[in-house]
Amino acid sequence: MTPPLDLSRRQFLAAASAAAGAALLAGCAPGSGPGSSAQTLQFWHLLSGGDGVTMSSLLDTVNKAQDAYRIRPTVLAWGTPYYTKLAMAGAGGRAPDVAIMHATRVPGWAPGGLLDNWDLDRLAELGVDESTFPEPIWKKGIVGGLRFSVALDAHPFVLMYNTDICDAAGQLDSDGRLLPASSPEEFLDQLRAVGGASDGHALSYGYLGDGAQMWRLFYGLYAQHGLAIDLPVGGKMGIDKDAAVESLTFMQSLLDGEIAAAQNDYGSAVAEFATGKSGMLMTGVWELRTMQNAGIPFDATMIPTIYGTPAVYADSHSFVLPHQANADERRRELTYQFVADMLKGSFGWAEAGHIPAYLPVTSSPEYADLIPQAHYAEAADHVVYDPEAWFTGSGSNFQGEFGAAVQGVLLSGDDPAAAVDRFERRVNALLAQPNPADPEGTWKP
Amino acid sequence: MTTTASTRAVVTGRKSSTPLRRPGFQRREQLVSWAFLAPFLIAFALFLAWPIVHGIYLSFTDQSLTGAGGGLVGFANYAEALGDPVMWQSMWNTVWFTLLSTVPLVAIALLMAALVDRGLPGQWLWRLSFFMPYLLASTVISQIWVWIFNPQIGAANNILKALGLEPLAWLQNPDTNMLSIVIATIWWTVGFNFLLYLAAMQNIPSQQYEAASLDGASAWRQFWSITLPQLGPATVLILILQILASLKLFDQAYQMLGGVASDTTRSIVQYIYEAGFVNYRFGYSAAISYVFFALIIIVGVAQALVTRRKKEL
Repeated sequence: MTPPLDLSRRQFLAAASAAAGAALLAGCAPGSGPGSSAQTLQFWHLLSGGDGVTMSSLLDTVNKAQDAYRIRPTVLAWGTPYYTKLAMAGAGGRAPDVAIMHATRVPGWAPGGLLDNWDLDRLAELGVDESTFPEPIWKKGIVGGLRFSVALDAHPFVLMYNTDICDAAGQLDSDGRLLPASSPEEFLDQLRAVGGASDGHALSYGYLGDGAQMWRLFYGLYAQHGLAIDLPVGGKMGIDKDAAVESLTFMQSLLDGEIAAAQNDYGSAVAEFATGKSGMLMTGVWELRTMQNAGIPFDATMIPTIYGTPAVYADSHSFVLPHQANADERRRELTYQFVADMLKGSFGWAEAGHIPAYLPVTSSPEYADLIPQAHYAEAADHVVYDPEAWFTGSGSNFQGEFGAAVQGVLLSGDDPAAAVDRFERRVNALLAQPNPADPEGTWKP
Repeated sequence: MTTTASTRAVVTGRKSSTPLRRPGFQRREQLVSWAFLAPFLIAFALFLAWPIVHGIYLSFTDQSLTGAGGGLVGFANYAEALGDPVMWQSMWNTVWFTLLSTVPLVAIALLMAALVDRGLPGQWLWRLSFFMPYLLASTVISQIWVWIFNPQIGAANNILKALGLEPLAWLQNPDTNMLSIVIATIWWTVGFNFLLYLAAMQNIPSQQYEAASLDGASAWRQFWSITLPQLGPATVLILILQILASLKLFDQAYQMLGGVASDTTRSIVQYIYEAGFVNYRFGYSAAISYVFFALIIIVGVAQALVTRRKKEL
């Protein structure tokens, strides 16, 4: 074969390797946009699927609304891989300008200096302060007295119900809303009635192989007892075992094969409800779009308060400032501007099912007309997050450990008390380990 | 295996008996050979030798992925690892998987190779279809088997139901999840062992079978007395490769279980990953990997002893 140019073989090889090297280096260089005065801000997030589509349309909106900055998003896979990459970027001091984190992951990160804190005065100048957030959501972003995250939303674990099936079962009030149940027995009776009107099961709840799903329902029910799990640094887990066992036993009674399928994974449960084969679905609000696209008649509400105290398990997508060794003052300022713009434009985020954290959005008349979102908006006042520790939060090992301990209870009727003991042992082992972000425990805000 | 080793020795074993050449030429020739070796040596030093040395150092520190820590902590990580029940459980899971998977992966491969070699018509079709799954990426086979094992709509439970048996939560039930991973792994990788066996069988001279059948030996007798004894070296090779492959258990188990920590399937490699990349403890993670390294060394030495004794016999 003759090379197209008049090159000796060595020249050809040398040229080829130089070209390959240049291409490699170019791959490492940060992308520079087309020539314009706008600063490009790097923004990392972990939202894909329907959430990802909504997020990119929100970003388009804020990009078009001004010409001081342009947001350049980088989308990474949800969960552990995302947090590993973000942590490494922060550890190297060359992190993106702004990123989304689950609010529950922030307490584990702040002590290691992976995050820079937000300046409350600068936020307040842009109309973002304590008065514009529901109290539990605002408080969640504070670690060691400093603000490390600003919540975009709360995405609680809720109850969706098929209005046709529940109506046929006589479980809707005159406004077409689900009748409230205030005790485990009442809720079970309601579910049995719904089951009678449904082709398949009364309830869809997918949990198999999914520690997060088991934890979401469990911790909501546990918190309804007016309790929280306490994870003191270097201490032992504080858990009320009676309440934990009661909550688990109730979950067992849902999965009897009559009310809900005894063995269901997340995808099958969503499919069951989306095809109208079940009357209710316990799920995160992020499945709202799925159900709207499926075209079934449905509404949504908080998981019924059956143990006295209204409490809804949730997490928040929050804006954080990953640590930059040499933060550029101008870019920082624009980052504050971007976050304020996003919060003010978060009505669009509500369309994906999430409850916007920014109160001026949720108290607007347009939001009141947004059904079914408005029907579970009150959940924002009752949100309960993961107990705080370096190893808890969405996409962490903690929820996986819970799933490993509890799945046998739900799947094959194992003893709930033994499962709680096992979970406690594992958590105590994690508590005995130092926070890897701050192994010497020297961090002071 | 011996053939490959000796061929390599012939190809690369440069004899130093070149007395007629001038010393300058010899030095130049040495430089050239080092230059040819350099690409590999650099990659080897950067990506294998250095990480191994650096990993040993890390295992004596409390280095975190977050950049924090990094101070020397002596043997604290090793002490913690040896007293960590999850570490031991993961180690056992890896060993258990190796035991469960190696035996069928060798036996089934032998059976398939024997059928294809002796009996079945359309040999190329069988060879292709037995080997095909091996070409798939672990992500693909994980997806396939997650669906097959789906408790509601999976093929595995449909078969159980057709047989009048209770459906199982294959991947979620701690009693069956390891077995499910073993089944998927056998389907995925048995083709490679099958191919090695088939090649070894086709190397056996056909005159031996002709002579045996003239003497009136049955097909079974021929398999027992001619085929099996001559597959000895191939079996040793397959066993060594298979044990090493099984000890590396991680990707299919991690993917099929969606990364959920399960005490009955978490392999030691997964625990190393969790310690380092989920809990950000590089130092501890490195310590566990050297405990695992010790296990592999033990297996390797045992294999070397066994194969050497065979040669002596």
